[in-house]
Amino acid sequence: MSQSLVQLGLPPEAKGRHQWRSLAERARLGFKDPPFTPEFPPGSDAAAAPEPSRRDFLTLLSASMAMAALEGCLKDKPEQVVPYTVRPEGVTPSDTLHYATAMTIGGFASGLVATSREGRPTKLEGNPDHPASRGGTGVYEQASLLQLYDPHRAKAIRRGARAESWVKFLGDVRALGVRLDAGAGASLRFLVEPDASPLHASLRARLLKRFPKAKFYAHDPLSRDAIYEGTRLALGEPLEPRPDLAKANVVVSLDADFLSPLPANRAGLLAFTARRDPARAMSRLYAVESAPTVTGMFADHRQRLRSSDVADFALALAQKLGLAFAPRAPLSPAADKLAAAIAKDLRGNRGAAVVIAGERQPAAVHALAVALNEAIGAVGDCLEYGIPLLSDVRSGPAALRELSAELRAGAVDTLVVTAWNPAYSAPGDLELASAFTRAENLVYTGLYEDETSRGASWFVPRAHWLESWGDARSFDGTATLVQPLIEPLYGGFTDAQVYAAFLGEGDKSAHDLVQDAWRASRPDVAAKWDAAVQSGAIASGAAALIAGPSSGEAIAEAIRALPAPLAPGELELGFHPGASTLDGRFANNAWLQELPDPVAKSAWGNPAWVSPATARALGVDTNDVVTLTYAGRTVTTPVLVLPGHADGVVSVHLGYGRQSGEHVARDVGFDAYKLRTADAPWFGGGVLVGRTGRRQVIPLTQEHWSMEGRDPAVDVSLKEFEAHGKERLDERRGPLPSLYPQWEKPGHQWGMAIDLAKCIGCNACTIACVAENNIPVVGPEDVIKGRVMHWIRIDRYFDEGPSGSVDEPQAITQPMACVHCENAPCEYVCPVEATVHSDEGLNEMVYNRCVGTRYCSNNCPYKVRRFNWFNFHKDVSSTERLVYNPDVTVRARGVMEKCTYCVQRIEHARIDARNRGGTIVDGGVVTACEQACPSKAIVFGDLSDRGSRVSVQHASERRYDVLHELNTRPRTVYLARVRNPNPELA
Amino acid sequence: MSAPFPKWSNTVMRLALGALAVGVVGGLTILLTYTRSPFFTGQFSSVQQPIQFDHRHHVADNKMDCRYCHSSVETSSSAGYPATALCLNCHAQVWNKAPLLDPLRAAFFGEGTPATQLTGGAPPVRPIVWKRVHRVADYVYFNHSAHVNKGVGCVECHGRVDRMAEVTQLAPLSMGWCLDCHRDPAPHLRPKEFITSTEWDPPSSVDRVKLGQELAARYDVHPRQNCTTCHR
Repeated sequence: MSQSLVQLGLPPEAKGRHQWRSLAERARLGFKDPPFTPEFPPGSDAAAAPEPSRRDFLTLLSASMAMAALEGCLKDKPEQVVPYTVRPEGVTPSDTLHYATAMTIGGFASGLVATSREGRPTKLEGNPDHPASRGGTGVYEQASLLQLYDPHRAKAIRRGARAESWVKFLGDVRALGVRLDAGAGASLRFLVEPDASPLHASLRARLLKRFPKAKFYAHDPLSRDAIYEGTRLALGEPLEPRPDLAKANVVVSLDADFLSPLPANRAGLLAFTARRDPARAMSRLYAVESAPTVTGMFADHRQRLRSSDVADFALALAQKLGLAFAPRAPLSPAADKLAAAIAKDLRGNRGAAVVIAGERQPAAVHALAVALNEAIGAVGDCLEYGIPLLSDVRSGPAALRELSAELRAGAVDTLVVTAWNPAYSAPGDLELASAFTRAENLVYTGLYEDETSRGASWFVPRAHWLESWGDARSFDGTATLVQPLIEPLYGGFTDAQVYAAFLGEGDKSAHDLVQDAWRASRPDVAAKWDAAVQSGAIASGAAALIAGPSSGEAIAEAIRALPAPLAPGELELGFHPGASTLDGRFANNAWLQELPDPVAKSAWGNPAWVSPATARALGVDTNDVVTLTYAGRTVTTPVLVLPGHADGVVSVHLGYGRQSGEHVARDVGFDAYKLRTADAPWFGGGVLVGRTGRRQVIPLTQEHWSMEGRDPAVDVSLKEFEAHGKERLDERRGPLPSLYPQWEKPGHQWGMAIDLAKCIGCNACTIACVAENNIPVVGPEDVIKGRVMHWIRIDRYFDEGPSGSVDEPQAITQPMACVHCENAPCEYVCPVEATVHSDEGLNEMVYNRCVGTRYCSNNCPYKVRRFNWFNFHKDVSSTERLVYNPDVTVRARGVMEKCTYCVQRIEHARIDARNRGGTIVDGGVVTACEQACPSKAIVFGDLSDRGSRVSVQHASERRYDVLHELNTRPRTVYLARVRNPNPELA
Repeated sequence: MSAPFPKWSNTVMRLALGALAVGVVGGLTILLTYTRSPFFTGQFSSVQQPIQFDHRHHVADNKMDCRYCHSSVETSSSAGYPATALCLNCHAQVWNKAPLLDPLRAAFFGEGTPATQLTGGAPPVRPIVWKRVHRVADYVYFNHSAHVNKGVGCVECHGRVDRMAEVTQLAPLSMGWCLDCHRDPAPHLRPKEFITSTEWDPPSSVDRVKLGQELAARYDVHPRQNCTTCHR
């Protein structure tokens, strides 16, 4: 039976080609009669505690019946109402207020609008007026809201082990300052995070004025050093390359994950994905990388290579473009063919193509990228160079090594650390934690008591950015005044206040510090202070300059200095930022920990990734625990076999294995920093893998909710699409004969369209939905049992693609939430009418009627319903409860839930519009997922309005319905992804 | 062989079955009646407030509009409870020594706290903790503005507050009661000019239902009855 459904559901060209989510599933697909696999993972309905005995069961049964009967009879106690004594101006209880602000990640700002209810922020959205965010957000911004309310945050200023006051701290710093003045601050060092904050820059200048011999070091575990060093090598000064992806017809990524959810990438991501619509001139993306990333999954051609071989690929490319370079070792025939095709494509798109090198690649590759971009005429058209906005162009291990040497030489008396947790995030071979003990005074400020705070002589809890005044700049230079939404919950202070303490201005508020700095530097902005704060985007574009020509000799020199290519059979160890933790600073965030990795779909941990071939060679499989020995240190981790991963490489992710006081983060995954070395922070050869014989089940979300071999995500090449796209997609859309009568559809008819050509699978929609809809976190054990509660999940499918090889699959991502079927299968089977249809086409879920039979979930072909196996909100602390959206019911144990199309937003918009005497206009209701999506792949609106954006998308020639053959008539439709492969490589 | 059961056991069986049927029907009747009884819905019961605030005096005698204190009723889901400072707008001048208002002054000024402390934006001293009279369940998202802007007067749900010494819940506030009006709103509509009036009645020459239908057309009233209208 399943075979016939498969046939029916497939576009003809795809017959015999199946999508699969994991190697295990692919193995099953090969069978004519696949063995029975349960729809839900084993244990999904098992109780957490041991099964009760029969007698216990009956006792519990009668007790619970008695309780239920009693509860029905008891009257609630009168509710208390506590109005304000003096109502703050502008605050209406139960209404929301919105404030522009910004969050800095990786040194650059993401312009945001925070929603506040009676003084507590409950949601973050992108600031649509901010040129570098355009309303989109990434996962970290959404999740940082939970961090604000984290009860594990540091709460006390302390000196040694003793709690102290800010006044006492200022007194100590004053005395210290007088002592340091004597030596002009020669023994004073600051370890800061590189950022583009004008306030920090001005304070730094003033600190150096007072202590001329003091030094600032910068530390960022994911530093962009290589970019600046590369441009310095090639062009003589450190510069920031800024590609303009809206103009690029061809983009080549050399190990660059330029679609990752960092604020620096946000504007480029939007520009790039806008060019993926076949209705406009499509761009083409080539990606060369070792571990698959969202960028690689999105590429038209992806070449997997060891990270250390990317330099040779770039050299080959340079050679084929007529530059005086040659690869140090010959490329594989496939890679060589690709390089030749890329070179031809680049030459054919002179001035409309760009090469982007990634932070993980050494400076020499970045220098080479400069030369490549010059050769293809990108500079000035698709690429400009600018003076780096970051305070420090050196923030990698080299800077830390210098600091470490100074510490060990006893040259540092006072060390002020505002960088995030360097004792943990420094490469293991620097042993920075022990070097820190050499400083007499270690002043550290952080959100948490962590590995670095342990050795601090003074620890100051940092205020969360939502509690702080400050400023920030985005990648394009736009400045934002960061305004707080709430007083510090745990009495934190800003970095600026800590710096100011050393200037004798510690008694100034953070607000005064930032205002003073702006008064001095930008009096025009300071004069219109309130307007500047309100807008959240102050135009101050970064100066662009046309740099060049590059120095070929210097580049060749840098290439010669690269470490020799790895010997055959030598295993490479590659380091990557953790998708959930970034560098580890978000490790205590349960929303992020539960968010599956966009590629591997694993949550709660960082298994080591290897390719199927490497796994076979090593004799390991997914879930096998191995030891990784590298540079003299050993860690233990389970393995995840990932198709599309480069052979001969083990990839590990940073930011896990925390051992500090952060409750959620502790013991999740292993600490990859221990293996990291200062010389080769991103990859290096010689890792040894040892089998332990143990197994540890990795919490994977991708194996849940079987799709029975149907191919729900349509992925065609531009050529196929232009030739046969319409008729083939016509089989997957349009009305089917039905015995049921059509019903009248007056009024609004809500619908959604998701453009797979724009979805990069970044998870921003999932976490925005978590924040909006009070979705609980279930933890790793329950993830394994398939109890993840996410209402919108991102499915990631592989298929062999044109390569025909399991090792080089194509990947496609597909956000999947309740599609609000017009003929909803769940509604027929509910015995208590807990799921019903509204006249506007919403499939409604009535929690109070639900008795938990789960028939609806069984009958849902899209597998988008989630059941509350437990009261997941029971142990949520009172502080964390502040994050709840009061417009959405917090669901109890034993009820089913699923996407509601953000019905609270629909009703809110309706009441607003009708109070004004109007109706909801197009764009008046924006769902949380649509609002967060950084590439604007999701569109929601009214289908009865023929001109609405969603109606236009529904009428698109790329539109299709998932499982159309079931005639469920889903309201959420998808637009097929169209790839634009190079015809020469077909 | 003797019968396993004596003959009278038939009678017992019949009686038992009868009792069971009566029990089930009666039990259900009792439960259903009980949940509709004022004891369960909280109607007509007196709620002791921390200050003996008298709506009769403020509304009937002083002719104050509801919106003076419940100021967000037209714009927000919550009608709004007055801040203590609002009470003192008048009561700093009138009845400013009355012992009845001691709790009010204590809440604003604090016992023994000089009033000057409150001027430079110092935090409020001690808010008054009122008791809610009209309470809907947590999973009901009621919106005042949606009703008031469509011609549903305050009196329709809250009754003649101007005649209440202490505010009492008159309506059952049950889902059935809500739906009655959502299904047929016309008899409950009034011109918006009289939205807060406690005394308005349609002129005797006018049929209330007919007027309601006219108003429903004028105000574009079409209440929704989907679950998610109120439950989200």
